[in-house]
Amino acid sequence: MALYIVEADCISCGDCEPVCPTMSITEGAVVFKIDKKTCTECEGDFDVPQCVKVCPIDNCILPLEA
Amino acid sequence: MNSQASLSRELALRIGLAARALPDTDAKRLLSVLTDCIGLPITEEKIVGIDLNILKTAKAGEFIDVDEPLLTHALSILKSGLNVPKQQAYVDGDMPGSVRIACASNDGINVDGHFGSCSQFMVYQVSGDEARLIDVRNTDIPDDLEVDDKNVFRAELIQDCQVLYVASIGGPAAAKIVKLGIHPMKLPATEAIADIIGQLQTVIAGTPPPWLAKVMGIDASDRFRFEREEATG
Repeated sequence: MALYIVEADCISCGDCEPVCPTMSITEGAVVFKIDKKTCTECEGDFDVPQCVKVCPIDNCILPLEA
Repeated sequence: MNSQASLSRELALRIGLAARALPDTDAKRLLSVLTDCIGLPITEEKIVGIDLNILKTAKAGEFIDVDEPLLTHALSILKSGLNVPKQQAYVDGDMPGSVRIACASNDGINVDGHFGSCSQFMVYQVSGDEARLIDVRNTDIPDDLEVDDKNVFRAELIQDCQVLYVASIGGPAAAKIVKLGIHPMKLPATEAIADIIGQLQTVIAGTPPPWLAKVMGIDASDRFRFEREEATG
């Protein structure tokens, strides 16, 4: 279980990077990206994923299927 | 010779507007200071030569107590007619790979307006190698129109644009802009529209970020190729 950033919608504002409790978010070659190996969807740290909470774009950070 | 006689209508209007931008100043007071700066007759060519310092010290420091940003703003209004860009015709499809931008402006030259209070939106169509001013949209609400929400009215004025540049904008207004599919860009300081366009053209001609490529209508598969090239390059 992890989240991913929809590349076509991300505006590279960088708001999500500092709020990630597991430091899974980094700036990629094109837009920001989430490391699916370390993303916990904030379980154990917060009630809701912090990146989703601060992201200014709707439906830009979504759960990764499978 | 009457000094007014040699003043063009355009220039007289701008002197009036500039005076209004200064505290406790009417056109007469500003005119007297300008006359002290450059002498009569007051012409476009001579106004170009006035800078902040000259304006401050003229007429024994008439404007010495006025805040500098206000004086700078008044100066930009005075000089604004000089490079006012000409509107150009545009038909959809004229400029492939282009984006339409709106700039919140008061003087027509700079992005110096607050979204909710600027006097006009300068609408440009911008591609990698071309930029056309296609419309200037006045933000006055027509008398016969009843408007509940001024910001919705303003947002709808620029509904056909993909990006909006402003000097400032409030949160709720920004949300209304985003809802209409327009991407708001707040600039850290007042910037010339020409500079903004230059920066945007560099981005468009290079590798536009995916969100921009998307609003420009670049196919997703082409965008993917961009990314691949970057990864291998």
